Amino acid sequence: MATVSKSFSHLARLIMLMALLFQSGCGRGQKFWTNWWTPGDTVDNVGYHPDQPIEFPHNIHVQKLQMNCEYCHSAARRSSSAGIPPLNTCMGCHQYAQTDKEAIQYLNSKWKAKEPVVWTKVHDLPDFVRFTHRPHVQKGVDCSECHGDVSQMTTVSQAKSMQMGWCIECHQANQAPISCVTCHY
Amino acid sequence: MRSIDSDLRGLEDQREVFVTNDQPFESPAKEFVPGPLYKNIEEVIPELAESQEIQDASAAKKLPVDRRDFMRLFSVSAALASTACVYRPVEKAVPYVEQPKDFVPGVANYYATTIDRVGVVVKTREGRPVFVEGNPEHPLSQGSPSIMAMSELQALFHPDRRVAPQIQYGTNRRGDANWDEVYDRLGVRLKDAKKVGFLVKGTTGHGVQFYKDFLKNIGQSEDNLYLYETNGIYNAISEAHRLAFGIDGIPRTDMRRTKLILGVGAEFLDEGVAPIFEQKSWSVGHTFRNGAKGRFVQFESRLTLTGGKADERHVIGPGDELAVTLAVVDSLLKRSEAKGTAAEKANIRAVVDAQRSLIDSTKQRLKLSDDLLNKLAGELLSRKSLVQVGESGAISPNGTLVQLAGIMANVLVGAYAERLQFFDQGWFKSPGRAGDIARFLNEGKTYDVLFVVNVDPAFTMPASSGIADILKGRSIISMQSMPCATDTYAEFALNTHNPLEAWGDEELVAGFWSLQQPTVRPVANSRQPEDILLWAAAKMGKPMGFEDYRSYLRDKWKLVYKESGINKDFETFFKAIQRKGFFVSQLSKRDMPAFGTVAERFQPLPLKSGMRLIAHLDSKLRDGYGADRPVLQEAGDGLTTITWDTWVAINPNKARELGVKYNDLVVVKGPGGSFEASIYPLPGLHYDTVAVPRGRGQKQGLSRITDGVGVDPLVALVAEVDPLSGDPVTSGQTVEIIKTGRRYRLAAMQKHNDIANRRDIMPVYPLAVAVANVRKEKDLDDVPDLYPSLAPKEGDLRSPNSYLFPDWKASTEYRWGMSIDLERCTGCGACTVACDLENNVPQIGREQVLIGREMHWIRVDRYFSGPVDNPEVSYQPVPCQHCNHAPCEAVCPVYATTHDQEGLNVQTYNRCVGTRYCANACPYKIRRFNWFTHKWNVMGDRPIDRNPRALNPDVTVRTRGIMEKCTLCVQRIREGKHNAKQQGRLVFDGEIRTACQVACPSDAITFGNLLDPNSRVAKNRKDYRAYLLLNGKPELGEYGLKTLPNVNYIAKVLHDGSEGIAAGDGHDRSGAPGPAGGHP
Repeated sequence: MATVSKSFSHLARLIMLMALLFQSGCGRGQKFWTNWWTPGDTVDNVGYHPDQPIEFPHNIHVQKLQMNCEYCHSAARRSSSAGIPPLNTCMGCHQYAQTDKEAIQYLNSKWKAKEPVVWTKVHDLPDFVRFTHRPHVQKGVDCSECHGDVSQMTTVSQAKSMQMGWCIECHQANQAPISCVTCHY
Repeated sequence: MRSIDSDLRGLEDQREVFVTNDQPFESPAKEFVPGPLYKNIEEVIPELAESQEIQDASAAKKLPVDRRDFMRLFSVSAALASTACVYRPVEKAVPYVEQPKDFVPGVANYYATTIDRVGVVVKTREGRPVFVEGNPEHPLSQGSPSIMAMSELQALFHPDRRVAPQIQYGTNRRGDANWDEVYDRLGVRLKDAKKVGFLVKGTTGHGVQFYKDFLKNIGQSEDNLYLYETNGIYNAISEAHRLAFGIDGIPRTDMRRTKLILGVGAEFLDEGVAPIFEQKSWSVGHTFRNGAKGRFVQFESRLTLTGGKADERHVIGPGDELAVTLAVVDSLLKRSEAKGTAAEKANIRAVVDAQRSLIDSTKQRLKLSDDLLNKLAGELLSRKSLVQVGESGAISPNGTLVQLAGIMANVLVGAYAERLQFFDQGWFKSPGRAGDIARFLNEGKTYDVLFVVNVDPAFTMPASSGIADILKGRSIISMQSMPCATDTYAEFALNTHNPLEAWGDEELVAGFWSLQQPTVRPVANSRQPEDILLWAAAKMGKPMGFEDYRSYLRDKWKLVYKESGINKDFETFFKAIQRKGFFVSQLSKRDMPAFGTVAERFQPLPLKSGMRLIAHLDSKLRDGYGADRPVLQEAGDGLTTITWDTWVAINPNKARELGVKYNDLVVVKGPGGSFEASIYPLPGLHYDTVAVPRGRGQKQGLSRITDGVGVDPLVALVAEVDPLSGDPVTSGQTVEIIKTGRRYRLAAMQKHNDIANRRDIMPVYPLAVAVANVRKEKDLDDVPDLYPSLAPKEGDLRSPNSYLFPDWKASTEYRWGMSIDLERCTGCGACTVACDLENNVPQIGREQVLIGREMHWIRVDRYFSGPVDNPEVSYQPVPCQHCNHAPCEAVCPVYATTHDQEGLNVQTYNRCVGTRYCANACPYKIRRFNWFTHKWNVMGDRPIDRNPRALNPDVTVRTRGIMEKCTLCVQRIREGKHNAKQQGRLVFDGEIRTACQVACPSDAITFGNLLDPNSRVAKNRKDYRAYLLLNGKPELGEYGLKTLPNVNYIAKVLHDGSEGIAAGDGHDRSGAPGPAGGHP
């Protein structure tokens, strides 16, 4: 019987080792009972508001300067992704405008170094979902219907859950296709 | 409808019909034998089945922990761990600093370029290539990329590409260096060198001129440039034309205008001169269309993809190509209606008379009757015919003479000018130069510095040619885009650009220029070989006056521009060329010279006796150039379906005679050495043929893909060259097959996914039946759909007689369908390769394939029927059939596989829990289960990361535990629909093309909207020969499985002796005889 107990202890050791390995892959200090899909504090991601390299004031650009969303997110009408503006779009104005501000100086330093600004993604769908901006924008769906009233925000926080039920509700209401392959392929 | 059991019993009964012990193997021709199909040889010769008793040499790598224990541990520890934190990763969004012009993130850009001598359009996303399509305007590709061009993607992002140049310092090992150091030291090396030579991959473009210019610039002779091309047909044909007509070049075969092709060892569907162009022109001119079908008679010693499509096939011995071609020439000469002038005929007669004894002895040995040859000669002279001779895959000692004999036959049938185009429409330029390789092998040792550019002579030349001695004694500068065997001899091993990163051009046809331009920034710190030379020349104080190769090319293109006489400025011209990819200039017409005197050069070498080795280029890997691409290793050979290995193909009856079985490991002992590989008894081979593919058996440690894969058959050879073309011979030497008493399992995919020998898989129609039932396009409206009840009607409900399947709302705009023409399918497997690359299908390695886990979404089934010594070969590409009554949908417990409104059977990966019920239910066996997360391939035998940059961003990468299958390229459908919707219209026919359709060189695959009656796919579905797989014959009231697929097949047509000219024009089926073949 000695062999049995020996192999059993061997097994147990392996189990513990593997569990440790699994654990070591994570640990950003979040509450462990939240849904794995939520980097935010809530179950459905609403209100997820990550830190960004600079506080981009959407409110000033949209409300005060009356800029259209598509001025910067110009790919939305043509592509699957709306596109985050390249630095040269910013520098088009900010080479001259508000150059004394700290955030603009940050942009300027990046521009001089030819380095991109690395933003943190707010609206991040799972990899098995293929969302396309193009048909939604062309259909006339307002940006705010999914992204909330960005004109009131500085850095963006997530306004809608962007879970499947939420998508389907709108698709059903508008007679949009709800076949699985509309989004999953 | 007979059950599967009775089908199998039927097969037992009829086995006697096609096991041909008593039949002489030189049976006159392939006859129209309706008979059961067989995929593997043990189905007809059970004694050849793999032996289970003897030891398996391929002892599978065992995991350190037993698999079951591992799974137990894994699940327990995973359960423990999952109670803790596993979070979604926080992703970053990185925009450009300066976004390039004409660029929209998420939208593909396309660039026209030339890869593998094929004009292609490279689809790029965010600056990296994601798919290689054919350039539809390019006359030589006509919209189809070659397999090698498509798989360049995997070479580009290969994990084992070197990222730094290496230099050997003194006697030390080679070490990584930086590029500036390379130019400096190269400059010094060149300054000291007395004689500098270049061995360069065969090219037809300005590259040749560049190397000559460079040699001249550093004070060397232009003759020190050698062009190296492993496909021996180029040198053989151009040398034969030089001997016969005094002109260099390769005639452009136009099979569209040909009614009869006589092939003697022809391989135009395997490799040939211009694979895509020839396959396109064959499929247009020779498959059944509008009531006519060309005839193709082939004599060959090994079964090739080309021979598999022959209408009449004769088996000859290896090396008999010359005598058989001469015998045909002889019988042509006897006929008064033979074309050609009296002088030409006299010249030809002189050759034939001198070879009389050879012709007669061969005719006697092969039992070729005069009747057969006379009939053939009569047919050749009475129809528009063409003679295609000579292997491209292997180089035989008399290869050039075979071509010369072929020229004689073509002169006599009058094929030049019309079917063989030379001066009137432009001829193919040869990428090699006859005699270059022989010259190189002779003079190689006189150099002190030798550049080897983009070729791997250390591996692709037979060791017996003495290549190792040449490479050892001198300073080798090896410029390669992938590590290769030549690097091991090199003082400088420089990593150069992949064709997707490089500049270049090709003059494929005289006066027809194709441009090659980069489609991506260099990904692996590589340089263009020409740039290295330019900069090294500058360092040694002899600048060539060009900043880089791009400016050199532009300079040369200025000459092309000047000759063209275009009245725009050069910048506009060059931009237009970059956009279009090619340029055609006007040719001055010349008359074809007369056939000259060749009798004294016509000195054939005697044939060897016994079993002879044919070491041929592999249909996927070629000479090994594609060996480091997993997608090609795993796509499998078209005829044997073997992946990741070298096999020894011999005739099954010969195998029985030798007492070897399938998978038996044997030693093939040749005059120069021996190698070990497994036996694959392949029907249709001559008794004396031992056919072994090249391209495998590379040196260890070059790439993790090629390590331990196969063996190199060239080691068995002794040095021998074709005396006229100077190419080293790879076929015709006597070998011996010695049993080892061990076995080694070949990972042949045709063992898997068996559809249980059902009878309605592959109906074939005799030509008379097909002709009598041709449907005119105007009559198609009256023809009901294969399943008329599927057309959406009022209320949009599915067919009323469905009971297991829920009613569903069908779209009234689209129902996607695919039609696959088996008459056109040559079994090349381009569809599988394209699908793998487009849909991120993982490659899993030999061990997983052996247990039937290959992941291909479209497989090409290969069936034999008829006698094993000369079978009829049929192919059937099988993607998901997208059944309207899909058995898989009914059994899924979680609704992961459902029906789309547009007729697609969709698989929702994130919903799938991996019960695999659907795979069990699928009668076509097209569903693929991810046993592992193949992205990391942890359990495979080659644990290599897939480079995420090589993946298609439009398709989800699947993880472990879920089912996947063909989606009919739904990502392309959605793209096309978005485009159409944006313009407020429906999708045009042909606007959306699936990856397999794009890749198919013979246009066998059609995709489109079945609800549009004018779409090609809807018309194909109404063809008389159209049928649904495993769905019986509805016109006879047999419904088979009644899965009602949206994919349909178009049956093959076999010659039955009748002329292929439309006799009837109606579509009335009543009086016509029924289909034969698969339906006894």
